[in-house]
Amino acid sequence: MSKSKTKRMKALVIGAGEVGTNVARTLVTDGHEVTVIEKDPDTATRAAGELDAMVHEGNGASPRMLEEVQASEYDLLAAVTAIDEVNVIAALAAKRDGVKTTVARVRDPDFFRRGQASREDVLGIDFVIDPDRVAAQDIARAVQLPGAVSIEYFADGALSLAEIVLTEDSPVVGIPLAKRERPHPAFIVGIFRDGESSLTRPDIVPESGDHILVSSPTEYVRSAVAHLAGHVEEVRNCVIFGGGKIGLHLARQLEGSKIKATVLEREEDRARKLAELLPKATIMHDEGITTEAQLMAGVGEESAFVACAGDDRANLVAALSARRLGSSLSLATISKEEYTPLIDALGIDAAFSPRLIAAEEILRFVHTKNVKSIHLLRTGFEAMEMEVSPNAPLVGMAIGETHGMLKHCRVGAILHEGECAIPQRGTTISAGDRLLMLGPLGSVTEVEPSFAGES
Amino acid sequence: MTGRVGAIRSPLVGIAVGGTLIGAGVGMLVCAGAGVVQGRDGMEFLVPGLVFLGIGLILFGLGTAADRSTPLINPVAGLFAVTSAWLAAAVAGAVPLLLSGTFSSPIDGFFESMSGFTTTGATLIDDIEAQSDAVLLWRSISQWLGGVGIVVLVVAVAPISGPGIQRAFYAETSGVESDRLTPRIIDTAKIIAGIYVVLSLAAALAYLIAGMNPFEAINHAMTTLATGGFSTRNLSLGAFGTPVQLVAIFFMILGAINFAFYWRVIKGKSVRPQQTEVIAFLALLVLFTAAIAISLELNDDLAGIGKVLLDSGFTVTSIVTSTGYTTADFDAWNSFARIAILLMMFIGGCAGSTAGGMKVIRVLLLGRSAVQEMQRQVKPAAVRVLRIGSRVYSEEVRRAVLGFFLIYVVIYAVGVVLMAIGGLDPLSAVSAATATLNIIGPGIAEVGALDNYSALSDFNRIVACFLMLTGRLEIFTVVVLLAAAASRLREAIPAR
Repeated sequence: MSKSKTKRMKALVIGAGEVGTNVARTLVTDGHEVTVIEKDPDTATRAAGELDAMVHEGNGASPRMLEEVQASEYDLLAAVTAIDEVNVIAALAAKRDGVKTTVARVRDPDFFRRGQASREDVLGIDFVIDPDRVAAQDIARAVQLPGAVSIEYFADGALSLAEIVLTEDSPVVGIPLAKRERPHPAFIVGIFRDGESSLTRPDIVPESGDHILVSSPTEYVRSAVAHLAGHVEEVRNCVIFGGGKIGLHLARQLEGSKIKATVLEREEDRARKLAELLPKATIMHDEGITTEAQLMAGVGEESAFVACAGDDRANLVAALSARRLGSSLSLATISKEEYTPLIDALGIDAAFSPRLIAAEEILRFVHTKNVKSIHLLRTGFEAMEMEVSPNAPLVGMAIGETHGMLKHCRVGAILHEGECAIPQRGTTISAGDRLLMLGPLGSVTEVEPSFAGES
Repeated sequence: MTGRVGAIRSPLVGIAVGGTLIGAGVGMLVCAGAGVVQGRDGMEFLVPGLVFLGIGLILFGLGTAADRSTPLINPVAGLFAVTSAWLAAAVAGAVPLLLSGTFSSPIDGFFESMSGFTTTGATLIDDIEAQSDAVLLWRSISQWLGGVGIVVLVVAVAPISGPGIQRAFYAETSGVESDRLTPRIIDTAKIIAGIYVVLSLAAALAYLIAGMNPFEAINHAMTTLATGGFSTRNLSLGAFGTPVQLVAIFFMILGAINFAFYWRVIKGKSVRPQQTEVIAFLALLVLFTAAIAISLELNDDLAGIGKVLLDSGFTVTSIVTSTGYTTADFDAWNSFARIAILLMMFIGGCAGSTAGGMKVIRVLLLGRSAVQEMQRQVKPAAVRVLRIGSRVYSEEVRRAVLGFFLIYVVIYAVGVVLMAIGGLDPLSAVSAATATLNIIGPGIAEVGALDNYSALSDFNRIVACFLMLTGRLEIFTVVVLLAAAASRLREAIPAR
């Protein structure tokens, strides 16, 4: 076969914080050549030790630094420091130097023109990412879908992949997957148990406490999730711990829904600012960790608790406390990877990480047009939506008989001529189909050639 | 010490007082013209007009010449300049009223003139129709000059600027936050004055069409837009037919709406900052009219629902906009209506308009603050911002509004007590203080709709002058000045 792996790209990452490191690592895992520029010497040294990448110490927004690393030779620049202005300047300078694609992390909405919906071509930057906003969006979706702890949409919203925590009430607990009843078109693709994630097999017997990943056409997702989760409580109010960027975005999103938002913020000035920006939400100036404060804010049944303060440890403790008070859904944002194992142990339903989101947003620029979207799941999976090109090796093959072309991936749903279907053994793959697949991290690069047409 | 001396010797005082006297002088010359047209010599206006114009030009010239060399401005200077200007206007305005023989007592002349410039509309004249055209026109002109603010008009016409002028400007315009329409204060003043002139001309035209003669139309146009309330008739607007009364209602409302609102409408900008206040203001008018009309239907023997609606609508509009025209003797209405009218005097029109009272926005902010205080008892940790409509007000505004209310109540209480000491019965004392502090004009009891302020003793008349000036300059200007003067006095005594 003449067409092999995805073309190797040269990528320049500005900033080696949590977001930058993860973006760089994801790109390296994908097989690309990565150079990192970091201002802080200690951070740079640490990154150099962690990453299989060239790490320079310096200011990524300075034209001299860009000249030194010969920026013009790069295909992609991702400016993801914590400072908007640095990112914008770096991206603009790199664009002028001839970098093909520039992506900048911009958190302040003031950089967008009024009414600008698209995140493309902001100030002449090719694409602007705001992981905090996306994280808030993801959380808002989970809060608004009773029974699910997280949900991702694919194929322009036609397909969904929901994560559900199984309880004793769930009808699938204790029954081998092959024998479960299927009142809804939904497919259990993956399972996450005791910190281990795996793709499902027909003989697996789900247990209470397992997280399952379910793919389904979006029109059925609500009923499918409600059925699979068993006992489902409608969330009436959402208590947001921490009024930072994510908390503000989340409260904004919930203002348009039936769910009442209450924000706990410990800085008084910030609390005032939030009260100005959020006319409908209740803002409370409080540490937010004590039982009394949480009860005052409305934590309890029929309420969701979202811990999204800047401090991971505070988030974990607050979410744990809310869980103890009986909140129906307990979510947290975690930016440091080392806390991930604790999430499950503390009984937190799901964790969201701007770090992962930033990486997945960047990933779309390093893949061919066959890759429509990628989501990096906390459970260690990669969910991807792939389009089959005409003449691709996969065309004409049947699901389950792809001769290893899909490697370790599992097809969760198939979109054929606009119709969503749960794949059956023997469903034939045609050109133009879109496949929603789940697989271990890095799978997308492995399977990409099977979807590409001959040039 | 030096600062306070600077306040009094500040060139700003020369500019403000000089400018005001120029305005008053020109106004008097116009009245002299009206006297000549009516077949008199007009000397009682011509002479003081020329004198005040001369003094004004000199003071203004000295002030502008000195202003360039004093970059530093004492905060009190602006307030002092505005207060001096208004006192100077009232004193100057009294002169032709005395020369023409309308009044023999200087106190009465000063009262009538102060009532004019502050747009209160309280009068001591028993038979208005017996006055010469020149006197009637002068009363109207004084209200028109005072309506939008003397300093605003001076700044609009004269090319002056500087930090002192800004302070004077904001001391004179009403509201909780300054509505700066343009980067330069001169342009803002020009816009406000321009809107004022255009609306006044429109009102004159409408009155003419509705059946007034030209002289009456011009006079009433000026006192309507200024929400002043002086009329050329003994029966006030009651002397005219329904069309004229409807025109009056319409333009009283226009005069009591924030001028910044019009500017934003003209420029096609979002009116959201002012929108809530305007809507609340209009809603209050409708609500009060309905309440008064229902009480009249139930309790009083009036002819027909149409007449009841017109009378209650007119009275409510005239009172809430702080104009003070009358078409009906509301003092003869039922108890509820009378006390409701007295209470609604406190509300007033919108901030940044020509109306008096506490202003709708302050009432809204006070109400919201009170509700939030109650909510705080339920959820102590909840953070609440002062939000009216889509606009968020700072904690400083909350403090300022609460402070304003407190001082307002104190001044009012002092005013009522002084009125009682001066010999009024309790209800008349309450009514007289309410109607002058809120710059309405007619009240109830002895200062009722069809009565005038002749029942007041000389002492009461002086108290009324103080209340009118304090109310027109929105309390702080005068009170701060008094406080500064008192502290200066305290410092001066041991020094001797």
